[in-house]
Amino acid sequence: QNTLTVCFSVGYSAVALNHVIDFKEKKQEIIKPVSPSELFPSLPIVQGTSKRIKVLTRLTLVVSDPSHCNLLRSTSANIRLYDIIAVFPKTEKLFHIACTTLDVDLVCINVTEKLPFYFRRPPVNMAIDRGIYFELLYTPAIKDSTMRRYTISNAISLMQVCKGKNIVISSAAERALELRGPYDVANLGLLFGLSESEAKAAVSTNCRATMLHGETRKSACGVVYTVKKPRKVEEEETAVPACKKAKTQA
Amino acid sequence: AAAFERRVLRCAAEHHYLRVRLELPDGGARPNAAQFKQLVVTALRELHGEVGAALPVDVLTYEEKTLSAILRVISSGLVKLWSALTLLGFYQNRRCAFRVLQTSPFLLALSGNSRELVL
Repeated sequence: QNTLTVCFSVGYSAVALNHVIDFKEKKQEIIKPVSPSELFPSLPIVQGTSKRIKVLTRLTLVVSDPSHCNLLRSTSANIRLYDIIAVFPKTEKLFHIACTTLDVDLVCINVTEKLPFYFRRPPVNMAIDRGIYFELLYTPAIKDSTMRRYTISNAISLMQVCKGKNIVISSAAERALELRGPYDVANLGLLFGLSESEAKAAVSTNCRATMLHGETRKSACGVVYTVKKPRKVEEEETAVPACKKAKTQA
Repeated sequence: AAAFERRVLRCAAEHHYLRVRLELPDGGARPNAAQFKQLVVTALRELHGEVGAALPVDVLTYEEKTLSAILRVISSGLVKLWSALTLLGFYQNRRCAFRVLQTSPFLLALSGNSRELVL
């Protein structure tokens, strides 16, 4: 809670609280997210505007096996409650699956150890077309100097493939001291090889696009739209796939 | 025919100024001015090596009570200094954080902060 207070004072306008699920342990169940209204009875106002700060909830799935992805397609009601869903692939195959077919908003890129796989251009380009963003964390870089090297090297190899598009930089801060202001983080983007405008976008516009992507994903799930054709009375058409495709492209 | 020459100045200011504040939450000994400069140079060395540590950085003012300072750096070294301050995590094995409050190529601009305006 102290961390959130620092966030607001430093100048962020929207914060997402992350919940990590690791599938290696047995019997992981997805619990309901902590509702932000429990933490703050009234959210303070963003500096300079008159809107309140948004606090969202986010779920990160650490997948090391293709069977873990089935959880995303299941109709567990608790998944719907999260605003943003991120996946953390551990193998090249899973990275490919996450970029092309999985219904997520963010793909996390590992920064704490050397990547076991190289990025290839086809899945990355498909992810960019689908509107999926790649996420880099910067808090390990503050804690440990070995992690700094891995963060920067993984970020640079990602930049070479995706040319700086669709990047989001976020912190995995557990304490208030591990947080940095938005312009500081944009400066870190310059270190990773982004251009100045891309670095600022990585903190502002790309994050907003991720939020909107999450909202469209939430609303398009489970929509059944029946249309009765006027001539043939007995035929009913369900236009579910078209609706979903249209909304994710929007 | 009048001869004229065209001069293009891009980022003519040669120094950039940063107002920073060091956050040390635990109530231990506070660094004095020399130790503060040592901390900045150490941060540069950890991230950018010996070349970074050799970057000409000056501490123009330093207040020990609030741990805030105004730094001056060559314009080409602004990105290195700023990223080194951002990624610094520890001071004498105590957790700390640098908050960059203002940055500008002109020293006069650091005197007023539009974020602290009371509307």
